[in-house]
Amino acid sequence: MANASPPAVLIEGLTKIFRLPFRKEEVVAVDDLSLEVGAGEVYGLIGPNGSGKSTTMKVLLGLIAPSAGKASIFGLDSADTASRGSVGFLPENPYFYKYLTGSETLAFYGKLCGLSGKQIRRRSEELLELVDLTSARDRRLGGYSKGMLQRIGLAQALVGDPRLVVLDEPTAGVDPAGSRKIRDLVLELKRRGITVILSSHLLEQVQEVCDEVGIIFNGRLVREGKLDDLIAIEDQSEIVLQNASPQLLERIGALVDEEDGAQMLRCGNPRTTLERLFLKAISEGSSQEGEDH
Amino acid sequence: MNQEAQDTAISRRHKVFSALRIWAIARNTFTQLVRMKVFYFMLIFSALIIGANLLFLSFTFEQELKILKDVSFGAMSLFASIFAIVGTALLIPKDIEDRTLYTILTKPVPRIEYLLGKLMGILLLLAVSILLMSLLFFTVLYIRQHGILTEKIASFPRQVSDAQIALFREDIFSRGLQPELLLGVLAVFLKAAVAAAVALFVSTFASSTLFTIIVSLVVYFIGHAQSLALDYYFAEGEMPSAAQRFFAGLIGVVFPNFQLFNVTDGLTAGEVVSASLMARLVGLTAFYLTIYSLVSWLIFAKKEL
Repeated sequence: MANASPPAVLIEGLTKIFRLPFRKEEVVAVDDLSLEVGAGEVYGLIGPNGSGKSTTMKVLLGLIAPSAGKASIFGLDSADTASRGSVGFLPENPYFYKYLTGSETLAFYGKLCGLSGKQIRRRSEELLELVDLTSARDRRLGGYSKGMLQRIGLAQALVGDPRLVVLDEPTAGVDPAGSRKIRDLVLELKRRGITVILSSHLLEQVQEVCDEVGIIFNGRLVREGKLDDLIAIEDQSEIVLQNASPQLLERIGALVDEEDGAQMLRCGNPRTTLERLFLKAISEGSSQEGEDH
Repeated sequence: MNQEAQDTAISRRHKVFSALRIWAIARNTFTQLVRMKVFYFMLIFSALIIGANLLFLSFTFEQELKILKDVSFGAMSLFASIFAIVGTALLIPKDIEDRTLYTILTKPVPRIEYLLGKLMGILLLLAVSILLMSLLFFTVLYIRQHGILTEKIASFPRQVSDAQIALFREDIFSRGLQPELLLGVLAVFLKAAVAAAVALFVSTFASSTLFTIIVSLVVYFIGHAQSLALDYYFAEGEMPSAAQRFFAGLIGVVFPNFQLFNVTDGLTAGEVVSASLMARLVGLTAFYLTIYSLVSWLIFAKKEL
């Protein structure tokens, strides 16, 4: 029987202790953490500041060594440089070389991934198109906005055609429209079958894109599972109706009252999110401006 | 698989060591330093040697040409060493501070390749800047020696014969632009290369650019003074003990003897620099670059980023 292919990410009993210089104190950043991410999944790692998310990612990417336990990427030990051949990484608030243009940046990272000149040109065009930066390809990164930097960062993470993409706070400091673009890109990666590990404070975004979520607190994984299972309130049901008359709602209420133990908790208009309202308003504003001109 | 798909398919076979990756980092480092407008220093260098040329017009031509060579070699050595130390000190701490290093080391790039790429990039910058300074220096020297010859002929009270002109020419030109000056240029490059390797080593454990610059400068100055200090402690005629020899050897490895690279003083005074001395300097530079790169790698390989 053929062996099953290894998971995209496997972390087993990971512990990371930092020793403070000139003191006897130690800080346990990650404490016996284990998790597994299957190929093609979008995994959200969430937790408050200082909970150990970034440390876990750094161990996974071979930037720091674990104090105990191990991590692997597609079956290769993460301490092995070869494991990075399948990975793309976008750090939190990255600064790229601001003296390089968008296409020079992709060419540089492409060379590090071992791409030929022809592959680099083709891949750069494709990625600049994907992240909507074709028109800014010859501008130096020093003149890019925060959102553009995050998008070129995402493009450099994808230049080596990775099977796993690790995104650390990809929308930090980006406005809602830019943030939405990045969310759409993550969904596009998911559609292409690329595994994504996403760390974010924006829980609504995590909820929108992730299949599975791990909640990390004080270095420990306190909750993990399929998103739908985790957030479902099992003893409640939801019905959303369109164009329902007050009479129909009254009849539904009466039906609920007839059943023992059942009760209607809420009835009214569902609320949109502030983010959706904002995006709708700016999209209407820009189309209005287009008509005026 | 069709041709187009073959062209775009990205190989997942990892090369343990890749000269192309090192070259990519070296070129990027060179571009980084060039776009930081470091070549503006050429203006200061030009001002220095043109100033030296103008200030000492009242001296004899022998003194004038010697001063021009002394000032030019001195300025070249100073600028090259400053570039080597400050340029290198700017690289790794800034990459760590800006988190750019994360995006490089999370590609399949071994840490030794990153270090070698950075070192090669700074050596490339040193080579180009020393080449530019030499061109400027040699041009000024060439113009000046012809100027001196013209002035000498013009100031001669009688009609000058061709034989006398040939004598003047030989006398002046032998103190001017001679091929041996290229050995001085090579020595300036070798010295700066060792200073860059020292700064690279310091930057692997330093926490900031400023710390790297200060520690590297301290090593640089100790390197200049170490032969004097060793001569003082091990008085002539005394046989040093095994412990003393070990101590001296250790000092010699940790603090490169930069004084050995100062062959330009002899060259400007008209002394001959032997091929064996130059071969020794090349060997010494290779030794220091290897040792410092290896130690830098040992520290950087374990560094928690």
